[in-house]
Amino acid sequence: MATSTVGLSPSPLRSLTSSPSLPPRARIAPSLPFASRLKPRLALSPLPAARRRPAGTRRPRVSAALTSLSETEPVSVPADSGELAGRFPSASGVYAVYDGAGELQFVGISRNIAASIAGHRRSVPELCCSVKVGVVDEPDRVALTQAWKSWMEEHMTATGKVPPGNESGNTTWIRQPPKKKPDLRLTPGRHMQLTVPLEELIDRLVKENKVVAFIKGSRSAPMCGFSQRVIGILESEGVDYESVDVLDEEYNYGLRETLKKYSNWPTFPQVFVDGELVGGCDILTSMYEKGELSGLSKK
Amino acid sequence: MASRASGAVLSRAGRIRSKLQSSLEASALEIEDVSHQHAGHAAVRESGAAETHFNVKIVSPKFEGKSLVSRHRLVYDALADELRSGLHALSIVAKTPQEVAPK
Repeated sequence: MATSTVGLSPSPLRSLTSSPSLPPRARIAPSLPFASRLKPRLALSPLPAARRRPAGTRRPRVSAALTSLSETEPVSVPADSGELAGRFPSASGVYAVYDGAGELQFVGISRNIAASIAGHRRSVPELCCSVKVGVVDEPDRVALTQAWKSWMEEHMTATGKVPPGNESGNTTWIRQPPKKKPDLRLTPGRHMQLTVPLEELIDRLVKENKVVAFIKGSRSAPMCGFSQRVIGILESEGVDYESVDVLDEEYNYGLRETLKKYSNWPTFPQVFVDGELVGGCDILTSMYEKGELSGLSKK
Repeated sequence: MASRASGAVLSRAGRIRSKLQSSLEASALEIEDVSHQHAGHAAVRESGAAETHFNVKIVSPKFEGKSLVSRHRLVYDALADELRSGLHALSIVAKTPQEVAPK
Protein backbone atom coordinates (compact mmCIF):
# COMPACT_ATOMS: atom_id res chain seq x y z
CA MET A 1 0.00 0.00 0.00
CA ALA A 2 1.19 3.45 -0.74
CA THR A 3 1.59 4.76 2.74
CA SER A 4 3.12 8.02 1.69
CA THR A 5 -0.14 9.53 0.52
CA VAL A 6 -1.63 12.05 2.90
CA GLY A 7 -5.00 11.13 4.30
CA LEU A 8 -4.64 7.39 4.10
CA SER A 9 -5.83 5.13 6.82
CA PRO A 10 -2.75 3.73 8.52
CA SER A 11 -3.83 0.17 7.90
CA PRO A 12 -6.49 -1.41 5.78
CA LEU A 13 -7.96 -3.03 8.85
CA ARG A 14 -8.65 0.28 10.40
CA SER A 15 -10.68 1.29 7.40
CA LEU A 16 -13.17 -1.35 8.40
CA THR A 17 -13.31 -0.58 12.08
CA SER A 18 -13.05 3.15 12.47
CA SER A 19 -16.08 5.32 11.99
CA PRO A 20 -16.61 6.54 8.44
CA SER A 21 -15.33 10.00 7.78
CA LEU A 22 -14.56 12.03 4.73
CA PRO A 23 -11.58 14.28 5.24
CA PRO A 24 -11.62 17.11 2.73
CA ARG A 25 -8.12 16.29 1.58
CA ALA A 26 -9.21 12.87 0.45
CA ARG A 27 -10.32 14.29 -2.83
CA ILE A 28 -10.02 12.41 -6.02
CA ALA A 29 -8.25 14.24 -8.76
CA PRO A 30 -10.62 14.74 -11.67
CA SER A 31 -7.84 13.56 -13.93
CA LEU A 32 -8.27 9.97 -12.85
CA PRO A 33 -9.47 8.10 -15.90
CA PHE A 34 -12.23 6.37 -14.02
CA ALA A 35 -13.54 9.24 -12.00
CA SER A 36 -16.66 10.84 -13.32
CA ARG A 37 -16.86 14.43 -12.22
CA LEU A 38 -16.44 13.95 -8.55
CA LYS A 39 -15.56 17.34 -7.32
CA PRO A 40 -18.79 19.37 -7.34
CA ARG A 41 -20.71 16.82 -5.38
CA LEU A 42 -18.07 16.14 -2.82
CA ALA A 43 -19.33 18.57 -0.25
CA LEU A 44 -22.89 17.34 -0.57
CA SER A 45 -22.32 13.64 -0.38
CA PRO A 46 -23.49 12.20 2.89
CA LEU A 47 -21.41 9.77 4.86
CA PRO A 48 -21.25 6.40 3.23
CA ALA A 49 -24.08 4.11 4.09
CA ALA A 50 -23.02 1.31 6.33
CA ARG A 51 -22.74 -1.87 4.40
CA ARG A 52 -20.30 -4.02 6.22
CA ARG A 53 -19.59 -7.62 6.32
CA PRO A 54 -19.47 -9.48 9.58
CA ALA A 55 -16.23 -9.07 11.47
CA GLY A 56 -15.11 -12.58 10.65
CA THR A 57 -14.67 -11.83 6.96
CA ARG A 58 -12.04 -9.15 7.47
CA ARG A 59 -8.92 -9.64 5.49
CA PRO A 60 -5.97 -7.32 5.24
CA ARG A 61 -7.14 -5.84 1.97
CA VAL A 62 -9.24 -2.76 1.46
CA SER A 63 -11.35 -4.55 -1.08
CA ALA A 64 -12.22 -7.15 1.50
CA ALA A 65 -15.14 -4.95 2.47
CA LEU A 66 -16.34 -4.95 -1.08
CA THR A 67 -18.56 -7.60 -2.55
CA SER A 68 -17.06 -9.00 -5.73
CA LEU A 69 -18.46 -7.90 -9.05
CA SER A 70 -19.98 -11.29 -9.84
CA GLU A 71 -21.65 -11.55 -6.44
CA THR A 72 -23.22 -8.12 -6.65
CA GLU A 73 -26.79 -8.02 -7.90
CA PRO A 74 -27.48 -5.64 -10.76
CA VAL A 75 -30.12 -2.97 -10.17
CA SER A 76 -32.07 -1.85 -13.20
CA VAL A 77 -31.94 1.83 -14.08
CA PRO A 78 -35.45 3.29 -13.79
CA ALA A 79 -36.96 5.10 -16.76
CA ASP A 80 -37.90 7.98 -14.51
CA SER A 81 -34.84 9.85 -13.31
CA GLY A 82 -36.74 10.89 -10.19
CA GLU A 83 -36.58 7.32 -8.97
CA LEU A 84 -32.82 7.07 -9.30
CA ALA A 85 -32.12 8.41 -5.85
CA GLY A 86 -34.36 5.80 -4.29
CA ARG A 87 -32.64 2.96 -6.05
CA PHE A 88 -28.99 3.95 -5.81
CA PRO A 89 -27.09 5.23 -2.79
CA SER A 90 -25.73 8.76 -2.71
CA ALA A 91 -22.64 7.30 -1.09
CA SER A 92 -19.10 6.78 -2.34
CA GLY A 93 -18.04 3.64 -4.07
CA VAL A 94 -17.55 1.72 -7.25
CA TYR A 95 -20.22 1.03 -9.83
CA ALA A 96 -20.46 -1.04 -13.00
CA VAL A 97 -22.84 -0.08 -15.79
CA TYR A 98 -24.39 -2.72 -18.09
CA ASP A 99 -26.17 -2.23 -21.39
CA GLY A 100 -29.40 -3.89 -22.52
CA ALA A 101 -27.54 -7.02 -23.64
CA GLY A 102 -26.00 -7.37 -20.20
CA GLU A 103 -22.55 -6.35 -21.44
CA LEU A 104 -20.39 -4.48 -18.97
CA GLN A 105 -19.80 -1.02 -20.45
CA PHE A 106 -18.00 0.94 -17.77
CA VAL A 107 -16.63 0.67 -14.26
CA GLY A 108 -16.41 3.97 -12.40
CA ILE A 109 -15.93 5.35 -8.93
CA SER A 110 -17.82 8.24 -7.46
CA ARG A 111 -18.39 10.26 -4.33
CA ASN A 112 -22.08 10.14 -5.10
CA ILE A 113 -23.03 7.03 -6.98
CA ALA A 114 -26.67 8.00 -7.55
CA ALA A 115 -25.66 11.36 -9.02
CA SER A 116 -23.05 9.79 -11.28
CA ILE A 117 -25.52 7.25 -12.59
CA ALA A 118 -28.04 10.03 -13.18
CA GLY A 119 -25.37 11.85 -15.22
CA HIS A 120 -24.57 8.76 -17.30
CA ARG A 121 -28.25 8.12 -17.88
CA ARG A 122 -28.63 11.64 -19.22
CA SER A 123 -25.65 11.47 -21.56
CA VAL A 124 -25.79 7.82 -22.73
CA PRO A 125 -29.23 6.43 -21.82
CA GLU A 126 -28.93 3.61 -24.37
CA LEU A 127 -25.93 2.18 -22.52
CA CYS A 128 -27.38 2.40 -19.01
CA CYS A 129 -29.74 -0.48 -18.38
CA SER A 130 -28.55 -1.82 -15.09
CA VAL A 131 -25.87 -1.00 -12.57
CA LYS A 132 -23.99 -2.93 -9.92
CA VAL A 133 -23.00 -0.84 -6.95
CA GLY A 134 -20.34 -1.43 -4.31
CA VAL A 135 -20.35 1.13 -1.53
CA VAL A 136 -16.89 1.77 -0.12
CA ASP A 137 -16.58 2.57 3.56
CA GLU A 138 -13.90 5.03 4.56
CA PRO A 139 -13.76 6.19 0.99
CA ASP A 140 -10.37 7.78 0.69
CA ARG A 141 -8.66 7.86 -2.63
CA VAL A 142 -6.79 4.63 -2.14
CA ALA A 143 -9.81 2.68 -0.94
CA LEU A 144 -11.82 3.81 -3.94
CA THR A 145 -9.01 3.06 -6.35
CA GLN A 146 -8.60 -0.37 -4.79
CA ALA A 147 -12.29 -1.09 -5.16
CA TRP A 148 -12.19 -0.02 -8.79
CA LYS A 149 -9.11 -2.14 -9.44
CA SER A 150 -10.61 -5.22 -7.86
CA TRP A 151 -13.76 -5.02 -10.01
CA MET A 152 -11.79 -4.24 -13.15
CA GLU A 153 -9.39 -7.12 -12.52
CA GLU A 154 -12.22 -9.47 -11.80
CA HIS A 155 -13.93 -8.58 -15.03
CA MET A 156 -10.74 -8.72 -17.08
CA THR A 157 -9.76 -12.07 -15.61
CA ALA A 158 -13.19 -13.48 -16.38
CA THR A 159 -13.58 -12.09 -19.89
CA GLY A 160 -10.13 -11.01 -21.02
CA LYS A 161 -11.60 -7.65 -21.99
CA VAL A 162 -11.46 -4.11 -20.73
CA PRO A 163 -14.94 -2.57 -20.46
CA PRO A 164 -15.29 -0.38 -23.59
CA GLY A 165 -15.91 2.73 -21.51
CA ASN A 166 -12.66 2.24 -19.63
CA GLU A 167 -10.47 1.91 -22.70
CA SER A 168 -8.07 4.77 -23.00
CA GLY A 169 -9.31 7.51 -25.27
CA ASN A 170 -12.97 6.63 -24.68
CA THR A 171 -14.61 9.74 -23.31
CA THR A 172 -18.21 8.51 -23.36
CA TRP A 173 -18.37 8.19 -19.60
CA ILE A 174 -15.93 10.70 -18.35
CA ARG A 175 -16.94 14.30 -18.38
CA GLN A 176 -14.05 16.59 -17.71
CA PRO A 177 -15.15 19.77 -16.02
CA PRO A 178 -15.12 22.55 -18.65
CA LYS A 179 -12.75 24.53 -16.47
CA LYS A 180 -9.98 22.13 -17.27
CA LYS A 181 -9.88 23.31 -20.86
CA PRO A 182 -6.70 25.19 -21.69
CA ASP A 183 -6.77 28.73 -23.00
CA LEU A 184 -6.27 28.87 -26.74
CA ARG A 185 -3.15 30.44 -28.21
CA LEU A 186 -3.25 32.27 -31.46
CA THR A 187 0.39 32.00 -32.45
CA PRO A 188 3.19 29.50 -31.94
CA GLY A 189 5.26 32.13 -30.14
CA ARG A 190 6.24 35.72 -30.16
CA HIS A 191 9.36 35.28 -32.25
CA MET A 192 7.88 32.98 -34.83
CA GLN A 193 7.12 34.46 -38.20
CA LEU A 194 3.37 34.34 -38.83
CA THR A 195 2.41 32.89 -42.19
CA VAL A 196 -1.16 34.09 -41.73
CA PRO A 197 -1.95 37.60 -40.49
CA LEU A 198 -3.25 37.84 -36.93
CA GLU A 199 -6.62 39.24 -38.10
CA GLU A 200 -7.16 36.11 -40.07
CA LEU A 201 -6.22 33.90 -37.14
CA ILE A 202 -8.79 35.75 -35.04
CA ASP A 203 -11.36 35.45 -37.78
CA ARG A 204 -10.85 31.70 -38.11
CA LEU A 205 -10.90 31.18 -34.36
CA VAL A 206 -14.21 32.96 -33.76
CA LYS A 207 -15.85 31.31 -36.77
CA GLU A 208 -14.68 27.82 -36.01
CA ASN A 209 -15.79 27.89 -32.38
CA LYS A 210 -19.32 28.49 -31.19
CA VAL A 211 -18.38 30.66 -28.21
CA VAL A 212 -15.03 32.40 -27.72
CA ALA A 213 -14.18 34.68 -24.81
CA PHE A 214 -11.17 36.97 -25.13
CA ILE A 215 -10.22 37.69 -21.56
CA LYS A 216 -7.49 39.24 -19.48
CA GLY A 217 -5.68 36.40 -17.78
CA SER A 218 -6.41 32.73 -18.06
CA ARG A 219 -9.80 31.13 -17.58
CA SER A 220 -8.61 29.54 -14.38
CA ALA A 221 -7.14 32.80 -13.08
CA PRO A 222 -8.70 35.86 -14.74
CA MET A 223 -6.72 39.03 -14.04
CA CYS A 224 -9.58 41.49 -14.30
CA GLY A 225 -12.92 41.65 -12.55
CA PHE A 226 -14.87 42.02 -15.79
CA SER A 227 -13.19 38.98 -17.33
CA GLN A 228 -13.83 37.06 -14.15
CA ARG A 229 -17.51 37.88 -14.27
CA VAL A 230 -17.77 36.81 -17.90
CA ILE A 231 -16.09 33.47 -17.12
CA GLY A 232 -18.35 33.03 -14.12
CA ILE A 233 -21.45 33.58 -16.23
CA LEU A 234 -20.34 31.21 -18.98
CA GLU A 235 -19.41 28.54 -16.44
CA SER A 236 -22.63 28.83 -14.50
CA GLU A 237 -24.66 28.56 -17.70
CA GLY A 238 -22.74 25.42 -18.64
CA VAL A 239 -21.56 26.97 -21.91
CA ASP A 240 -18.85 25.07 -23.76
CA TYR A 241 -16.58 27.96 -24.66
CA GLU A 242 -13.03 28.65 -25.70
CA SER A 243 -10.96 31.30 -24.00
CA VAL A 244 -8.03 33.38 -25.19
CA ASP A 245 -5.80 35.36 -22.83
CA VAL A 246 -5.19 38.76 -24.41
CA LEU A 247 -2.45 39.46 -21.88
CA ASP A 248 -0.36 36.52 -23.04
CA GLU A 249 2.53 38.38 -24.63
CA GLU A 250 4.29 35.21 -25.69
CA TYR A 251 1.61 33.37 -27.63
CA ASN A 252 -0.88 36.15 -28.33
CA TYR A 253 1.53 38.95 -29.03
CA GLY A 254 -0.19 41.97 -30.55
CA LEU A 255 -3.62 40.48 -30.04
CA ARG A 256 -5.11 43.33 -28.01
CA GLU A 257 -4.60 45.98 -30.66
CA THR A 258 -5.50 43.69 -33.56
CA LEU A 259 -8.63 42.42 -31.88
CA LYS A 260 -9.83 45.93 -31.06
CA LYS A 261 -9.67 46.76 -34.75
CA TYR A 262 -11.11 43.44 -35.86
CA SER A 263 -14.15 43.72 -33.62
CA ASN A 264 -14.42 47.51 -33.60
CA TRP A 265 -14.61 47.27 -29.82
CA PRO A 266 -12.10 49.05 -27.63
CA THR A 267 -12.20 47.10 -24.37
CA PHE A 268 -11.89 43.60 -22.95
CA PRO A 269 -13.33 41.09 -22.28
CA GLN A 270 -14.98 40.38 -25.62
CA VAL A 271 -17.31 37.48 -26.23
CA PHE A 272 -18.02 36.08 -29.69
CA VAL A 273 -20.83 33.72 -30.61
CA ASP A 274 -20.90 32.15 -34.07
CA GLY A 275 -18.24 34.59 -35.24
CA GLU A 276 -20.16 37.68 -34.10
CA LEU A 277 -19.20 39.97 -31.26
CA VAL A 278 -21.89 39.70 -28.62
CA GLY A 279 -20.31 42.28 -26.37
CA GLY A 280 -18.35 42.69 -23.18
CA CYS A 281 -19.13 42.16 -19.56
CA ASP A 282 -22.12 44.54 -19.38
CA ILE A 283 -23.93 43.00 -22.32
CA LEU A 284 -23.20 39.44 -21.25
CA THR A 285 -24.46 40.23 -17.77
CA SER A 286 -27.61 41.70 -19.19
CA MET A 287 -28.18 38.70 -21.47
CA TYR A 288 -27.58 36.40 -18.52
CA GLU A 289 -30.14 38.23 -16.42
CA LYS A 290 -32.69 38.02 -19.23
CA GLY A 291 -32.02 34.31 -19.68
CA GLU A 292 -30.77 34.81 -23.21
CA LEU A 293 -27.69 32.66 -22.73
CA SER A 294 -29.46 29.41 -22.00
CA GLY A 295 -29.48 28.63 -25.72
CA LEU A 296 -25.70 28.43 -25.67
CA SER A 297 -25.60 25.70 -23.12
CA LYS A 298 -24.69 22.36 -24.62
CA LYS A 299 -26.98 20.47 -22.29
CA MET B 1 -10.34 69.31 -32.95
CA ALA B 2 -13.25 70.68 -31.01
CA SER B 3 -12.46 68.69 -27.90
CA ARG B 4 -8.98 70.04 -27.53
CA ALA B 5 -9.98 73.38 -26.09
CA SER B 6 -12.26 71.90 -23.49
CA GLY B 7 -9.90 68.98 -22.88
CA ALA B 8 -7.33 71.24 -21.35
CA VAL B 9 -9.57 72.48 -18.60
CA LEU B 10 -12.04 69.69 -17.99
CA SER B 11 -11.42 66.45 -16.17
CA ARG B 12 -11.90 63.28 -18.15
CA ALA B 13 -15.29 62.87 -16.50
CA GLY B 14 -16.21 66.32 -17.75
CA ARG B 15 -15.02 65.55 -21.27
CA ILE B 16 -16.93 62.28 -21.32
CA ARG B 17 -20.04 64.15 -20.27
CA SER B 18 -19.78 66.83 -22.90
CA LYS B 19 -18.89 64.39 -25.68
CA LEU B 20 -21.76 62.03 -24.95
CA GLN B 21 -24.15 64.91 -24.46
CA SER B 22 -23.37 66.45 -27.81
CA SER B 23 -22.89 63.42 -30.03
CA LEU B 24 -25.67 61.24 -28.61
CA GLU B 25 -28.12 63.95 -27.54
CA ALA B 26 -28.42 62.25 -24.18
CA SER B 27 -31.62 63.01 -22.34
CA ALA B 28 -30.20 61.58 -19.15
CA LEU B 29 -26.57 60.99 -18.32
CA GLU B 30 -24.85 59.72 -15.21
CA ILE B 31 -21.10 59.42 -15.08
CA GLU B 32 -19.30 57.91 -12.14
CA ASP B 33 -15.56 57.65 -11.78
CA VAL B 34 -14.82 54.22 -10.36
CA SER B 35 -11.09 54.25 -11.08
CA HIS B 36 -10.32 53.73 -7.41
CA GLN B 37 -11.92 50.28 -7.64
CA HIS B 38 -9.30 49.34 -10.17
CA ALA B 39 -6.31 50.88 -8.49
CA GLY B 40 -4.57 47.52 -8.27
CA HIS B 41 -5.27 46.73 -11.90
CA ALA B 42 -2.04 45.81 -13.71
CA ALA B 43 -2.60 48.20 -16.62
CA VAL B 44 -3.50 51.08 -14.32
CA ARG B 45 -0.60 50.52 -11.96
CA GLU B 46 1.89 50.64 -14.80
CA SER B 47 0.66 53.81 -16.37
CA GLY B 48 -0.01 55.51 -13.05
CA ALA B 49 -2.99 57.16 -14.68
CA ALA B 50 -6.05 58.38 -12.84
CA GLU B 51 -9.56 58.47 -14.35
CA THR B 52 -9.35 55.13 -16.09
CA HIS B 53 -12.64 53.42 -15.23
CA PHE B 54 -16.12 54.91 -15.43
CA ASN B 55 -19.70 53.80 -15.05
CA VAL B 56 -21.88 55.47 -17.64
CA LYS B 57 -25.66 55.47 -17.63
CA ILE B 58 -27.03 57.10 -20.71
CA VAL B 59 -30.46 57.58 -22.24
CA SER B 60 -30.46 58.60 -25.86
CA PRO B 61 -33.00 58.58 -28.71
CA LYS B 62 -30.16 57.45 -30.96
CA PHE B 63 -30.31 53.99 -29.37
CA GLU B 64 -33.79 53.42 -30.76
CA GLY B 65 -33.99 50.13 -32.67
CA LYS B 66 -30.35 49.30 -31.98
CA SER B 67 -28.84 46.22 -30.39
CA LEU B 68 -26.80 46.50 -27.22
CA VAL B 69 -23.61 46.00 -29.20
CA SER B 70 -24.49 48.88 -31.54
CA ARG B 71 -25.44 51.13 -28.62
CA HIS B 72 -22.18 50.46 -26.83
CA ARG B 73 -20.29 51.08 -30.07
CA LEU B 74 -21.94 54.51 -30.37
CA VAL B 75 -20.71 55.33 -26.89
CA TYR B 76 -17.23 54.02 -27.61
CA ASP B 77 -17.10 55.92 -30.91
CA ALA B 78 -17.97 59.15 -29.17
CA LEU B 79 -15.17 58.53 -26.69
CA ALA B 80 -12.54 57.24 -29.11
CA ASP B 81 -10.04 59.97 -28.18
CA GLU B 82 -10.42 59.21 -24.50
CA LEU B 83 -9.93 55.49 -25.04
CA ARG B 84 -6.73 56.25 -26.89
CA SER B 85 -5.46 58.50 -24.14
CA GLY B 86 -5.77 56.37 -21.04
CA LEU B 87 -9.46 55.63 -20.55
CA HIS B 88 -9.33 51.94 -19.83
CA ALA B 89 -12.83 50.61 -19.42
CA LEU B 90 -16.44 51.70 -19.29
CA SER B 91 -19.37 50.01 -17.73
CA ILE B 92 -22.28 51.10 -19.89
CA VAL B 93 -26.02 51.10 -19.38
CA ALA B 94 -27.54 52.39 -22.61
CA LYS B 95 -31.31 52.90 -22.86
CA THR B 96 -33.76 54.66 -25.10
CA PRO B 97 -36.14 57.30 -23.68
CA GLN B 98 -38.98 54.85 -24.24
CA GLU B 99 -37.28 52.15 -22.19
CA VAL B 100 -36.92 54.38 -19.15
CA ALA B 101 -40.34 56.01 -19.44
CA PRO B 102 -42.65 55.10 -16.55
CA LYS B 103 -45.35 52.76 -17.74
